[in-house]
Amino acid sequence: MEKRTDSPYPRRDRPVLALVGVALVIGTALFAWSDRQHDWRYYQYEFRRQVTEKFGAEKAATVPAGIQQLWVPELRRADRCITCHQATAWKGFESADEPFRTHPVEPLRSHPVEKFGCTPCHAGQGWAIDSDAAHGQVAHWEEPLLGSDLGEAYTLAATDKGAMLQINCNACHRYDRETAGMSEINLAKKLVQEKGCRACHVINGRGGSIGPDLTYVGDKAPEQYDYSRLSGQMTAFAWHVAHLKDPRALVQETVMPNFHLSTRDSQALAMLILSWRKTSLASSYVPGTPRSDPQTPEEAAEEQRMATGPGAWFVKTGCFVCHSISALGVRSPAQIGPDLSTAVEDVQSRFGRTLDDFLREPTGTMSVVLSRQIILTPEQKAVAIGKLREAFQEHLRQKEAGAKTPATPVGSH
Amino acid sequence: MSLPVERPEPPRSAPGVHPKRGWSFSPRSDRESGDAVVANFLLHWFPAKVSKASLDWNYSFWLGTVSAALLLLLVLSGMPLLFLYVPSVERAYASVKDIEYVVAFGSWIRSVHRLSAHLMVAVVVLHLARVFLTGAYKNGVGRGQRRPLNWVLGVAMLIVTLFLSFTGYLLPWDQLAYWAVTVGTNIASSIPGVGATLRELLLGGRAIEQATLIRFYVLHVIALPGALGILFLYHMWRIRKDGGLARADRATLLEASAAVVPTPTKTYTLLGLARGTSPQIRATALERPETTVNAVPDLVRRAAIVILGTIAVIGILAVAIHSPLEEPANPLVTPNPAKAPWYFLWLQEIVTDTTIHIGSFTINGAFIGGVLLPGLLIGLLTFWPWLDRSGRAATGVWFARDRRLQNWVFLGLCLVVVVFTLIGTFCRGPYWNFYWPWETWPEIPGRI
Repeated sequence: MEKRTDSPYPRRDRPVLALVGVALVIGTALFAWSDRQHDWRYYQYEFRRQVTEKFGAEKAATVPAGIQQLWVPELRRADRCITCHQATAWKGFESADEPFRTHPVEPLRSHPVEKFGCTPCHAGQGWAIDSDAAHGQVAHWEEPLLGSDLGEAYTLAATDKGAMLQINCNACHRYDRETAGMSEINLAKKLVQEKGCRACHVINGRGGSIGPDLTYVGDKAPEQYDYSRLSGQMTAFAWHVAHLKDPRALVQETVMPNFHLSTRDSQALAMLILSWRKTSLASSYVPGTPRSDPQTPEEAAEEQRMATGPGAWFVKTGCFVCHSISALGVRSPAQIGPDLSTAVEDVQSRFGRTLDDFLREPTGTMSVVLSRQIILTPEQKAVAIGKLREAFQEHLRQKEAGAKTPATPVGSH
Repeated sequence: MSLPVERPEPPRSAPGVHPKRGWSFSPRSDRESGDAVVANFLLHWFPAKVSKASLDWNYSFWLGTVSAALLLLLVLSGMPLLFLYVPSVERAYASVKDIEYVVAFGSWIRSVHRLSAHLMVAVVVLHLARVFLTGAYKNGVGRGQRRPLNWVLGVAMLIVTLFLSFTGYLLPWDQLAYWAVTVGTNIASSIPGVGATLRELLLGGRAIEQATLIRFYVLHVIALPGALGILFLYHMWRIRKDGGLARADRATLLEASAAVVPTPTKTYTLLGLARGTSPQIRATALERPETTVNAVPDLVRRAAIVILGTIAVIGILAVAIHSPLEEPANPLVTPNPAKAPWYFLWLQEIVTDTTIHIGSFTINGAFIGGVLLPGLLIGLLTFWPWLDRSGRAATGVWFARDRRLQNWVFLGLCLVVVVFTLIGTFCRGPYWNFYWPWETWPEIPGRI
């Protein structure tokens, strides 16, 4: 029998390999465990417990489990806040502590969650599912939650410590003079009018040129401010508050006067200033945005003239969609059919029938139109014939007078 | 009554083929051990017998195997990411956020991928240093050896590895990605004459945009991994053809003077000394039981320790170290400081140190630090095997006396690179000002 050559390696290497095996098992256990370490698991457990306590186990079974999100395709936001804030749509948790509190109903009436999600108003990081990251209190996230914690950090003078939220309200409401529920921004907008900020600054595209254009000043990078004379928090918001209170204290060579604004006024104005950013919102999100294509005065006058002039009947009935009646000053937008000014003559030459006969028993396209789109009673048909005769008379009169008809017939049946 | 049936003998297996199907990790004989290499396709790249010297932990430190294990991890962790990542400017960042937050084990998978990538750059460089310091790129005693070619393949693989890492840098589309690639490609644009064109070719335009992202993406997931895979296979093949590690050669050389013990069989001369290796060498040292062991299971076991060990270390590290994801890429806001990936930081450091301002006149260091110096170093590395005039005895030995000077010069250069990398990584703050690691950088202002 052949033998295997002796080797020292099994004795030395087997324990090492065993250790590696142990390390692999530990590694697997660790990574499975780390995936369980999310605080939402606790909050969901706790909310379920509270619901059981309040409404019984049957109700609690309807509380969804696992990561939840609001997906708003129009805003491209996936807000996972409701993974922990499960009570937002529940009645009966109005006075509970966060994250188990019911969302106030009033703002949600006009801002349904399906269309707005959470972060467009509240800021924070909707993608995240751990509280610090979700509230944006982490490095590399520049939109922290605009909650009362932040208000307290800035010792807001407003009665509502959560008023910083209004910065985001004004992303959509920036062109409103006054918006219900936006106390601080309303105050700031009033101050902008009263103090005459536009004397020096362009705001929303209008104003003077002594100071910098403020239309999109909210987008200015925080690094671009000079903080050398600012004490306390180094943020763009803190800079603006200090600068509004005493401009010369921060920028020595400034010509901006000191308006002796109160703390609340300066904070409100700083919020307003930070809200002036470029946004890529759909126009349906911005109140007051015109959603029509307004007519020029000439176009409006022309429409008015056609609707009230001698050809008004043809406009009202809808004939003018396809036919001009140039003799009566009616110009068709489509001009698919022939000009009806000469219909009396034209019908005869085209169809070999009188106008009366044709209208009673129309053929071709007109048979379809008059049986589906424009249904006329015999009386209305009589009116039509009368009007068309009038138009023909007018046409002849104009021709005799050598006046040029404004429109030439286009197309044919 | 029936006649006794003459049973046919069971068919004998062909010579060299083990009668049992399959193979064993604990072969009972050398023959069975050798058969395992024949029977198992994956074990084909091992010889039947391997010299003890080349199994030593402290000769090669198994750095090549570690980098291969990291490559394996990168491919494995890259597969799920391929399904999840969206290479579009609008959606790349969000898809990485989703991988981080809601994909099951997504954050861990991404960390495994990132850590393996960074570690692979480091380990490949260390592997190169080991091969240089042991003179392992030199041909030894086997005829037909082409170790210099394998060294050149190795240098090519280092460059491909760097580009793989660099192209992967852009994909998350965050500030780190955007500005690291800005710095990197601006260096490329400093090549006189063709620089601007080269940058345009890399970016697919004049700014880092969708065209850049898709270019880097395709390079990262198809072109460069494919190139690395082919180079890797060729590299492994050359090792077999060159007779294994250079150290095995050396053992042969040293023991050639020992008495030749005629060996009764030639069955297992699969050590792979190719193309007319002289039989005397085979018959002397390489075959002797005290200098060699069976590849199965001794080599396989050690390879398993290294590969599984690497996987275990990365797996545990990835739980502890999360991959960063900065703000979404913003061409209008430059982070301060804007740094290249760490393995290019020594170059960025040299670029700043060679940029000289004389009054309003500036000599841009990008050409010296970004093009001339690395080009020179890569050129020298590539052709060094032909410039090295040391004797055969210096093959496969750490700090051979023949190669003392070149080893010191090499180590000196490595030290410079390491020091500059450390300075760039830990001592450069806003405006590329110098800060000691214990000094705090000025506070970075926030918005609200």
